[in-house]
Amino acid sequence: MMPRCQAPISDGTLLDYWAHDLADGDETGHVEEHLFACGDCSARLHRLAALGTGLATLVRQGRVSGIVSRTLLNRMQRDGLHIRMYSLVPGETVPCAVFPGDDLIVTALRADFSAVEAVTLSVTGPGDSPFSQLDNVPVSRPDGEVLWATSAAVVRQMSSMRLQLTLASAGATRTELGRYVLEHSASTPPS
Amino acid sequence: MLTIADSTDADLARAVAARGPGSAEAAESELYRRFAPRVRLYGLRHLRDEDAARDLVQQVMLVTIEKLRGGSVRDVDQIASFVLGVSRSMAKDLKRLERRREKLLEAFTVPDIVEAPMGDTTLDVGRLETCLARLAERERMVVLLTFYAERTSGEVGKELGVKDGNVRVIRHRAIERLRTCMTSGEVVQ
Repeated sequence: MMPRCQAPISDGTLLDYWAHDLADGDETGHVEEHLFACGDCSARLHRLAALGTGLATLVRQGRVSGIVSRTLLNRMQRDGLHIRMYSLVPGETVPCAVFPGDDLIVTALRADFSAVEAVTLSVTGPGDSPFSQLDNVPVSRPDGEVLWATSAAVVRQMSSMRLQLTLASAGATRTELGRYVLEHSASTPPS
Repeated sequence: MLTIADSTDADLARAVAARGPGSAEAAESELYRRFAPRVRLYGLRHLRDEDAARDLVQQVMLVTIEKLRGGSVRDVDQIASFVLGVSRSMAKDLKRLERRREKLLEAFTVPDIVEAPMGDTTLDVGRLETCLARLAERERMVVLLTFYAERTSGEVGKELGVKDGNVRVIRHRAIERLRTCMTSGEVVQ
């Protein structure tokens, strides 16, 4: 058996190295020297890299739900994902559906985010039943939008229904920023 | 008695260097087994492409074994440094080639077809999907921007309006939660 590593690189440093957050030059160089000489740390980096590859695979397969940023959305489109977008301003009702070939459904909710840093998105279904609640979502002020993504595979399972979405500022003083309605039509009408 | 598996990297390099081509097969195989994954990781990090990383492994290991056989590795005790040096030099060449290829593609073709790479076979992606969904919104955005969009903490911070030091903390915590969830099925709150 090879000797165990006597001075393992910390998880944080391995993560920073993989994410290109170490300074080029000495800092990166020392980590690489160690990784090439150490099977243990190299194996730990391999596990981290596999996790990263798995995350990227999920995105490429449209298997992510929740809030996404414009950068993520652009990258997904560049990678060839079929993304259906619905854009709503406060008070608007929009009919929506998922179509064959769609990978991801993204709802862009526009509002005035000038006074907030994070928001809560509450989604309710028929009879005000809770559908989804996304807390403490960071907002991009220049874009003025929150992008809510749902896997098309999930939406395909949904029956026709009205979804009410409410954006409010996160934190103690909860100020409503907008209400929106999605009129969802099921992919296949019930027989 | 020491076996191949007990040998240090330097022992293996010395064994290859001391004997003629083809007479140290076991040592060569073990060197390959140890260093190929390290070179692949280096390639993945620097070239950000699985195929390019695989090419890098082949080229680096070929040169390493050839140089050892030919006796032209100056310090076999520092074989890891030698392999890293070859990896750096070859990755630079591959990057240059890739840039030239991209320029040609931009000039002559419409770059709209992207083939999805193969998923990692050793990871339960279904389980990872569940674990990812359990993360807080901010954590999920940070890990996806890092591992999928390949953004540094500074770039993520700018996008989310968070200091890059905080991004690193959020990212570290999110990875720990994912690991815990993947191994035990629990999410640390």
